[in-house]
Amino acid sequence: MNTVMTHAPVKSQPLMALRGVAHQFGGLVVLRDVSFTVSRGRIAGLIGPNGSGKTTLFNIASGFLRPANGQIFIDGRDITAASVQERSRQGLIRTFQTPKVFQHMSVRENIEMGLYATTGAGFLASMLATPGARGERARIRRDAQEVGERFGLGSHLNTRAGDLPAGQQRIVELARAYMTKPRVLLLDEPSSGLSSDEVELLRNWVRTLSNEGITVLLVSHDMGLMSVCDTVHALYFGKIIASGSMAAIQADPMVREAYLGG
Amino acid sequence: MTKTVLNGRLAFAAVMLVGLILPAVFERHMVDLLVYAGLYTIAGLGVGLLLGQCGIVNLAQALFYGIGAYASAYSTVTLGWSPWSGILLGIAISVAVALVIGFPLLRLHGFFLALATLAAGTIGTIFFFEWDWLTGGTLGIGGLPPLSVLGFEFNSPARFYYLVWAVVIILLVLSSNLVSGRPGLAMRALRDSAPAAEVMAVNIHAIRTKIFALSAGLGALAGSLFAHYSTYVSVESFTVQRSIVFLLIPVIAGARSIWGTVAGALFVTFVPELLSGFGDAHQMLFGIMLVLVVTLMPDGLAGIPARVARRFAR
Repeated sequence: MNTVMTHAPVKSQPLMALRGVAHQFGGLVVLRDVSFTVSRGRIAGLIGPNGSGKTTLFNIASGFLRPANGQIFIDGRDITAASVQERSRQGLIRTFQTPKVFQHMSVRENIEMGLYATTGAGFLASMLATPGARGERARIRRDAQEVGERFGLGSHLNTRAGDLPAGQQRIVELARAYMTKPRVLLLDEPSSGLSSDEVELLRNWVRTLSNEGITVLLVSHDMGLMSVCDTVHALYFGKIIASGSMAAIQADPMVREAYLGG
Repeated sequence: MTKTVLNGRLAFAAVMLVGLILPAVFERHMVDLLVYAGLYTIAGLGVGLLLGQCGIVNLAQALFYGIGAYASAYSTVTLGWSPWSGILLGIAISVAVALVIGFPLLRLHGFFLALATLAAGTIGTIFFFEWDWLTGGTLGIGGLPPLSVLGFEFNSPARFYYLVWAVVIILLVLSSNLVSGRPGLAMRALRDSAPAAEVMAVNIHAIRTKIFALSAGLGALAGSLFAHYSTYVSVESFTVQRSIVFLLIPVIAGARSIWGTVAGALFVTFVPELLSGFGDAHQMLFGIMLVLVVTLMPDGLAGIPARVARRFAR
């Protein structure tokens, strides 16, 4: 399937587009001609059984892997050859299947890292503690405090992030990603290891971020969380076999056979 | 001002005061050891920044220490330059060498990187030995002039003590600023999770290379100061064994602590001296003490005040 239908109403032009993405590891083909678009401020989801190519597609979209074929666009700009850092500066931010908080840093410092790309104090200015560097550092701390409190982490700001339970580490990762002011947020299995209450909280967060204009691409096995998506793409053996609303996907006979067990 | 900050400042002032009067109350040999502790703090600080902030094990610090020392020796004794020019030359060469070898080496990680720095340090020792036209080989270079400022010569242990510890304090303040600033955040982020740091737009290779160059510059500065203090340099001072001592400093101190480097340097300088009365057994005893510190104090010597505070808080 080259271009797939999008059932959700289009808010505006596509912000993220994957065109003909294909990849293989040695002789094993893991992605075949995957194409879809995500409109600005929309939530798109990827589902598929283990080994269907979701994580590979995520790694390609976020720049950790170069596709064998195909292109990736952000706001019409081809970023296929861009590094992870360049994509980050373009506003494309991802989280990881296993939460990758900065374990030995405080929650506050984790969130502060979200402003790294948009601040500039270098080695010399920081060593000399120039007024500019000190002012910037104070602003970073202030903004991190605000974002931390907004995400319900106010009482944990000075806690070592690695000491938090898995669910809270996911929220730290989300707060850190939010701090970057992303245009596109890629969330890789964000609900794994979370309780049902935490999944509901996460679901609300994803909806809130979307309402703020952030485009979200979500991979999850959690059908409750995936119901937040405007459009869901079902991957099977590296190929998109269906796209549409979650209800439509769940009713699709091919998807039921391949993924939901008939 | 909070009570903690006030207590910290009072403790700092007390330590400074004690530091100021030490040369007056200690015998010459002890002051001499304090000078070496200061020199080791500078070199160890560079290794500690790499280890504690970036998670990089550097076993090549003696190479940069040697470059600093030989640059000072050659430029002052052979070329007749001023000592301060020699120090700058040593730092410049060390930073350049660090950038050249760091570019390929710092793409490695973990044990592979540690082994690569060990190899770089070993190659450096061989060059110091073989390039006798530059280094004097095993004979070394003697007759270095003392450092001086406006005619005031730092030509005794007590005088040099004040110079080296003033430099140490300035460098510790600058390093503390660095690690608490934006680059410090990036360093610790890449240490804890390189992929997540990349997503935050950290250029991992650039940060690692810069901190490696900074560490090399600190090693060279320590080497230059050592050369002017001892007035003689030879290849025995710049072996891999010296690099291991420099690595022990942050390990003993608690690698993430900047100010703790002082405690680590004092340990590696004074403990072998205190144990020397045990004759041949002193090296074994030093090893035992080292194992005890590393195993019983996971946060190193720098973690002791926090432990004591927690104990009293109970």
